[in-house]
Amino acid sequence: MGNLIDPTNTELYALVLKDAPYVIVAYAVLWVALVAYVTVILRRMLKLNREIEVLSEVVDSKAQAGE
Amino acid sequence: MPDTDGAAKGVGSVKRQLQVAIILAIVGGVLTTAAFLMAFTTARVQTFGTIDAPAAVETTYPPAPAAMQPTDGTGVRYQRPWLSQKIFYFHVPIAEASFLVFTLAAIFAVLFLVKRKQSYDTRSRIGMETTLVFTIGTMITGVMWTRASWLTNWSQLGREMLSEPRLATYTIMLVFVIAYFVLRNSVEDPERRAVYSAVFTIIAWIDAPISFFITRMVPSNHPIVFQSGMDTTNLIPFIIAQIGMLMLGYAIYALRVAEESSRDTLTVLKEQLEG
Amino acid sequence: MKVSAFRQYRALLRKDIVMELRTKEMVTSMGLYAMLVLIIYYVALSQAGQAFDVTRIAAGLLLLVVVFTSMLGLNRSLVHEQDQGQLEALLLAPVDRPIIFFAKATTNLLFLAIVEVIIVPFFLIFFVSGAVVPTGSTVAVSQSGPAWMTALALLIGSIGIAGVGTLLATMSVNTKGRDFILAVLFIPVMFPLLLVIVSALSAVLTGDAGYAQTFWKMCAIGAGYDAIMIAVAFALYEFILGV
Repeated sequence: MGNLIDPTNTELYALVLKDAPYVIVAYAVLWVALVAYVTVILRRMLKLNREIEVLSEVVDSKAQAGE
Repeated sequence: MPDTDGAAKGVGSVKRQLQVAIILAIVGGVLTTAAFLMAFTTARVQTFGTIDAPAAVETTYPPAPAAMQPTDGTGVRYQRPWLSQKIFYFHVPIAEASFLVFTLAAIFAVLFLVKRKQSYDTRSRIGMETTLVFTIGTMITGVMWTRASWLTNWSQLGREMLSEPRLATYTIMLVFVIAYFVLRNSVEDPERRAVYSAVFTIIAWIDAPISFFITRMVPSNHPIVFQSGMDTTNLIPFIIAQIGMLMLGYAIYALRVAEESSRDTLTVLKEQLEG
Repeated sequence: MKVSAFRQYRALLRKDIVMELRTKEMVTSMGLYAMLVLIIYYVALSQAGQAFDVTRIAAGLLLLVVVFTSMLGLNRSLVHEQDQGQLEALLLAPVDRPIIFFAKATTNLLFLAIVEVIIVPFFLIFFVSGAVVPTGSTVAVSQSGPAWMTALALLIGSIGIAGVGTLLATMSVNTKGRDFILAVLFIPVMFPLLLVIVSALSAVLTGDAGYAQTFWKMCAIGAGYDAIMIAVAFALYEFILGV
C-alpha cells in the first residue's frame, strides 16, 4: 500500500492546512445525504411492492371465487 | 390518472426498471467510492500559487520554475500544495449529473407537450426532483470549495455568489427548480398543472447551457476543467468519478420512476378491488 | 372571410388601448406605484450623506423600479382578461393564437414604455444629475453618457420583460398564488437579462472611460437573450392557452 500513495499526499496530510476540514465536511455531508436519500426511496419501494403483492393476491382470489 | 395498460405488464416492467436502477446505483456507488479513495491516495497533489521558504527544505513538492524564483536570491520559492483541489472529484461530476438530469427533465417536458402522455409529465417531474438533489449537492460542495480556496471569511461568500457569473447562474438554476415545485403546488387541475410545468421547465432549462458555458465566455474566477491540463494520476480518478456519478444520477432518477409506476399499479389494483 | 394576421393583431391592440383610454387604470396604477417606489428610494438614501455617490448604484435602483412596476402591470393586464372572461372569448373567436401573444406583449410593452417615459426623467433628475463625485480635493459633477443610450438599454430590458412576462403572467393568473407565483417565476427567468441591462445602464450613467464598449457588448447580449426568450415564449404560448 505504501508505494500506492503518491508521496505528495503523505506530505500534504502531515502539514496542517486550514482548508482541510471544509473538504472533509463537503464529502461527509454529501455522502450521508445521498445514502439517506437512496435508502428512503428503497424503503418506500419495498413497502409499495409488499402492498402490491398483497393486493394482487386478493384480486386473484376474488377473480377465482367469481368464476 | 394512472396508465391503465394492465397491472400485470406494469409489474413486470417496473421489476426490470428497478433491477437496472439498483445495479446502476451499486456500480455508481462503487466507482465514486473508488475515485474518492484514489483522489486521496494515488492522485498527485496539484500545486496552486507559491510559497517562500527561507532556505531549501526537504519536500516532495518541486520548487517553482527558475523564472519564478525570487530575483534577490533570498530563500527558495516552492509551489503551494492545493488540498481543496481534491473536491474536484466530487463537485464537478455532481454538477455534470445535475445538468444531465435537468436536460432529461426538459426533454420529457417537450415530449409531454407534443404527445400529451401523462407518464412524460411524471418523468419530467421526477427529473426535476433529481435535479434538486444534485443542485443542492453541487452548491454544498461548491460553498466548501469557495470557502477553502478563494476566500478568507464567510461574509465574502454572499458577494461572490452574486458577482461571479457561474455561481450566479447556478444559484438561479436552484431557484428555478424550487419555483417549479411552487408552481406545481399552486395549480389544481392536473392537465393544466402538467402543461404549465412543462412550459416552465423548458424556459428554465435555457439557463443550463448559459451556466455551463459562461465561464468560457466572460471573465470569471471559477476554474475551468481541462484549461490547465491534469496529471494522469489525477485524470483517472476524475474520469471514474464522472462515470460513477452520472450512473448514480440516472439510478436515482430510475428508482423514483419505478416507485411512481408501482404507485400507479397500486392505484389500478385498488380500483379493480373496488370495481 | 379570413381576416389577415396584421388586421387581427391591430384589432386586438385597439381593444386594449381603447379600454385603457376609457379607464386609464393600468398607466395610472403603474405610474403611481413607480412614484411611490421613488419616494422609498428617497427615504432609503436620505441618510447616505453628501459624500455618497448615488450614480454608482443608480442603474440598479432604476431597474428595480422598472421590474416592480412591470410585474404589477403584467399581473393586472392578465387579471383583467381573466376576470372578464375575455381570454375565453378570444379563444372562441377565429384568431390565430400567436397573434394573441404578440398583441398582448405589445400592449404590455406599450404601457410599460409610457410609464418609463414619465418616471425615468424624474429618476434621473432627482437621483443622478445632481450627484457629486469627490475626486481628490476637488468636487466634480459626474458626466453621464447620452440619454438615448439609457433609453436603448431600458427598451431592450422592457422588450424582454414584456415578451416573457406575458407568457408567465398568463400562466400565473390561472394559479392559486397569482401575483406571488408571477414573482417566483418571473425574477429567475429575467435574471440574466437584468444582470446585462444593469451593467449597460451602469456604464452609461457613470460614464466611466470606455463605457461605450461595455454598453454595446451588454446591449448585444441583452438583445440576443430577448430574441431567444421571445422565440421560446412565442412557441410555448399556444400550449398554455386553452388548458
